[in-house]
Amino acid sequence: MHAFLVWLEATAVSVWIREGITVWSFPAIISCHTVGMGLVAGIQAAIDLRILGCAPRVPLMETKRFLPVMWFGFWLNAISGVFLLIAYPTKAVTNPVFYVKLTFIALAVVVYRKIRDTVLRDTSLDEKPVPRPGRMLAVYSLTCWAVAIAAGRLLAYTYRHLMAGE
Amino acid sequence: MFHFQVWLMKAFFAIKFARPFMNSKWGWPLCETLHFFGLSLLVGTIGMFDLRLLGVAKRIPISALHRLVPWGVMGYGINLMTGLLFLSIAPDQYIFNRAFHFKMLFMALAGLNILVFYSAVFRKVNVLGSGADAPRAAKIIGGASLCLWIGIIVCGRLLTFYRPSSCGDMTPGFFAICFPN
Repeated sequence: MHAFLVWLEATAVSVWIREGITVWSFPAIISCHTVGMGLVAGIQAAIDLRILGCAPRVPLMETKRFLPVMWFGFWLNAISGVFLLIAYPTKAVTNPVFYVKLTFIALAVVVYRKIRDTVLRDTSLDEKPVPRPGRMLAVYSLTCWAVAIAAGRLLAYTYRHLMAGE
Repeated sequence: MFHFQVWLMKAFFAIKFARPFMNSKWGWPLCETLHFFGLSLLVGTIGMFDLRLLGVAKRIPISALHRLVPWGVMGYGINLMTGLLFLSIAPDQYIFNRAFHFKMLFMALAGLNILVFYSAVFRKVNVLGSGADAPRAAKIIGGASLCLWIGIIVCGRLLTFYRPSSCGDMTPGFFAICFPN
């Protein structure tokens, strides 16, 4: 594992992202990661708020039209996240908070799929309030994204080893 | 302009009440986390509204979706407060930072855009029901809002790379400008 991290950190891509003195390396990638975060967590949060009863006149089924934008944010972050991981692999994999972040993103996706297959399929919910199980899913979704964002932000403050060589 | 920047910096340095909290181990990271929550809330709700103006999910009546806007305003409020806390303990890092200047410019333009929206087109679009297309002026405003908020996020994220430095023996930031002495 250690040898792999040393090798990865020495690859041209890793070095370029980490040390390239250009906005197009680390700064651009981290910016994409933040915009993607706003889109994926923000749009999911807005749909969750609708499920919880805010903006009750919004036809719930129609909120599905925003899901491609949410998925755009998701994949933007998956890709930019891989690049950030390539830049600082040791920093991430030696920090338990990184696994907390990934776990809660996975949970958020599981909750999203449950919402999609239940709440967003029941056309009668366009007009009437969402019953309790659906509302609970919205609460779980908001919680998962909040934990994922907090964990992501705290990665910068909780890492133990920056590079494999240290 | 330089005198104004120095005055502003001194004004923020004079705010002392938040300093013990912001300098504590978790004060700054906590505020950053809240800043990201606010960002997501704002971009999610306002972004959705902008997309509706642009023609996505046209079957949602605009007035119905507008009920989510207060949540975006709440996100803005969280970010304004946490943002002022950042400024209050390190004003020099922002006031002489080019990324911050652009962030403020985009925020001012976004504010102006909101003023134009509510004064000129809101009454016209708020009555649009399910399936109705927003007028071109509203689409331009929605598109501008979307671009500006994304620009604001990017500039915010770039702040750390444009931190001004004394350019002495201290390590300068990535694209740092030297502090005017």
